[in-house]
Amino acid sequence: MAAAAGSVGGDDHHHHQQARYPLDAGSYRLLCKIGSGVSAVVYKAACVPLGSAVVAIKAIDLERSRANLDEVWREAKAMALLSHRNVLRAHCSFTVGSHLWVVMPFMAAGSLHSILSHGFPDGLPEQCIAVVLRDTLRALCYLHEQGRIHRDIKAGNILVDSDGSVKLADFGVSASIYETAPSTSSAFSGPINHAPPPSGAALSSSCFNDMAGTPYWMAPEVIHSHVGYGIKADIWSFGITALELAHGRPPLSHLPPSKSMLMRITSRVRLEVDASSSSSEGSSSAARKKKKFSKAFKDMVSSCLCQEPAKRPSAEKLLRHPFFKGCRSRDYDYLVRNVLDAVPTVEERCRDSTQLCGCARGARCVSPCRHASSGSNVVAAKNRRISGWNFNEESFELDPTDKPPEQQQQQPCFPFHHDNDDDMVEHEQEQRRRQDGNDGSSDVAVPHLVTILGSLEMQRDMVMQVLEGDGGGGGETAGREEMLVGYVRELEKRVQELSTEVEEEMARNAHLQELLHERACENHTDSSHTSGSR
Amino acid sequence: MKGLFKSKPRTPADVVRQTRELLIFLDLHSGSRGGDAKREEKMAELSKNIRELKSILYGNGESEPVTEACVQLTQEFFRENTLRLLIICLPKLNLETRKDATQVVANLQRQQVSSKIVASEYLEANKDLLDTLISGYENMDIALHYGSMLRECIRHQSIARYVLESDHMKKFFDYIQLPNFDIASDASATFKELLTRHKATVAEFLSKNYDWFFSEFNTRLLSSTNYITKRQAIKFLGDMLLDRSNSTVMMRYVSSKDNLMILMNLLRDSSKNIQIEAFHVFKLFAANKNKPTEVVNILVTNRSKLLRFFAGFKIDKEDEQFEADKEQVIKEISAL
Repeated sequence: MAAAAGSVGGDDHHHHQQARYPLDAGSYRLLCKIGSGVSAVVYKAACVPLGSAVVAIKAIDLERSRANLDEVWREAKAMALLSHRNVLRAHCSFTVGSHLWVVMPFMAAGSLHSILSHGFPDGLPEQCIAVVLRDTLRALCYLHEQGRIHRDIKAGNILVDSDGSVKLADFGVSASIYETAPSTSSAFSGPINHAPPPSGAALSSSCFNDMAGTPYWMAPEVIHSHVGYGIKADIWSFGITALELAHGRPPLSHLPPSKSMLMRITSRVRLEVDASSSSSEGSSSAARKKKKFSKAFKDMVSSCLCQEPAKRPSAEKLLRHPFFKGCRSRDYDYLVRNVLDAVPTVEERCRDSTQLCGCARGARCVSPCRHASSGSNVVAAKNRRISGWNFNEESFELDPTDKPPEQQQQQPCFPFHHDNDDDMVEHEQEQRRRQDGNDGSSDVAVPHLVTILGSLEMQRDMVMQVLEGDGGGGGETAGREEMLVGYVRELEKRVQELSTEVEEEMARNAHLQELLHERACENHTDSSHTSGSR
Repeated sequence: MKGLFKSKPRTPADVVRQTRELLIFLDLHSGSRGGDAKREEKMAELSKNIRELKSILYGNGESEPVTEACVQLTQEFFRENTLRLLIICLPKLNLETRKDATQVVANLQRQQVSSKIVASEYLEANKDLLDTLISGYENMDIALHYGSMLRECIRHQSIARYVLESDHMKKFFDYIQLPNFDIASDASATFKELLTRHKATVAEFLSKNYDWFFSEFNTRLLSSTNYITKRQAIKFLGDMLLDRSNSTVMMRYVSSKDNLMILMNLLRDSSKNIQIEAFHVFKLFAANKNKPTEVVNILVTNRSKLLRFFAGFKIDKEDEQFEADKEQVIKEISAL
């Protein structure tokens, strides 16, 4: 970290002399839309009084945003108080009508997720991965040193500038361990309401029990929320992000998010960087272009993905890993020439997306600006964040039927172990409920999800029976695995069916609500009662 | 930052003393910014010390805080004017050290020495520090740090009372409307904290200062052109009036025709969120069993319009309480 400080002028010292960005809409000229979500639009803009400096402005519709104003403020404050060259910091924010404008640095190349989608569906070259991950780690080091946990590390939250420099974005779910009250005092109205203090006094102050993050990147102990969060959860997500950059998508992403969570809870996921070398015959994947990754890379990733949080290296230690030692400044040039120059500009990506998003549902929408497919509950939940400006990180819902079945084996994952199954049941239910609560349409979805849950429990019991019936014979592991995979597929199919149902139900409901709303509006305009002035 | 916690064993009191000496140096040599090598060196040392104070109070990655160490630190800290020096010198510190200092000050507000909150006693004897903290809202660079410290200080009832009774309360109506969203929201969080934390003190303040306070509240906040100001104010008004400890104030508020008119205008606001929050206050006017004639008159005059409005007034989420309240309001108005 010390080495990093000098290069781009230690941010601390220049903090006070920073240009003052004006706090009124009139000072900015909107150039073009570069992204949009359910309740926010991101523009590329010029700040006229500052020599038309280019900025990104995220305009959040506070009327449509699900977040309450306190949450929005908490995040704005977190962003205002972070200062590191690899962390995205807002220049300023102010209100324009019922919108909040957050003025941010313009990151010309967009998010890594968007870069993957627009030119590197099978992943980035290893040397590029190394430089962007090194910068991401520097950001993480800084955050962790501050006692701040990011909780949503993923390619979609890593923004790249035209020179290849990287900033970590989106602190919508981040939490500070310093903002919890010490265990003696209970009523603390500080900015931590969204992260209830740990229930058990035994938990250390760096534990959080609420659900946050995005399923695929979530570390097992975040899912097992009884363990609480630690900064090591970010390290897990960092490892998953490394795999995402290597393969173009996070592991298990062919499963729906809730499914991926279930898998990680009920199974011990063994992840390896080189997918084709994983357990059961990778021969079928030969068709796919085989990628070779260095041993250092594999070693780095697997250290992050250690099941036990305590065994994962800290961000600081990880930064000293041989994988990052090899980074040279010319790697940035390589990144610029071979990756950034190979993808369309963010403006072009946005234009594309309008068409892309018009295509059949279920197709992988790849742009950072997925058009208001407001039926997608996850998207709604995500979009209240103000710091990132990549909106469609959730569009990962790959359609499993699109893929040949071998793909599943290609996914670096499984074998099941039943050793920690018994105490999972409860938490898994709890998690699912919380997860369901998160997606904003819980009232409609709940009964259905309960049905799903019931079904999943039944299925799980079946799996358990198989596991118990085995009695510890080592020989037929492969056969058992196949059976389990079979069950998993069944389970998956069932979940798929049910979620389709839920979606249909939600669409119906949305339609009804629209009708209601329309009617309410009509009535409302009718009843323009002039307040008692007469 | 490596090796920071492994330095030679200094007692917590040593760290406080050194911090104080460095602050005094910084306070005296405040003229030139930067350039001065010696000053830079002292600054770096100060930053290190403040970070160490923080890690003693909060623990670090490996260890939980030790009570005895915290007691020693707190005692030494308040034995002399360390808090004053730290607050005064804050603008001279770099961002990271400001954050550490803020967290240290926050933590100290809860530390007890022989079951007494030392910080509270100190602040009572040094109330002018509160004036300094509040004026921080006028300086963008330090507003968020002073704001956080201030909210921690008003955890002490006597300190909250001091701020409530001071002229500063009037300034909050300006601070809440500052164009900078972070700072305006911070001021509004402090304002809310002042008016909710110590129930009895708040009730007393509101009844003594009813006239000017609600006149400011109505004209400046509820009638503000700033969407966030208006939305936060109406929500807060509802919370405040519905608090049982403020029932006298509530009765007084809902007996005024002028207040009713403001609320009826808010019911027609273009923002659904504001409408809903306004409803939660409006219902109190309707539910009042002893409505003054002027209130009844307005409700009767607008009865048909109100009833038509409520018939179409829905919220997105299903909410039994809301529906029941609405039902009740409709009944009350129809029966007039």
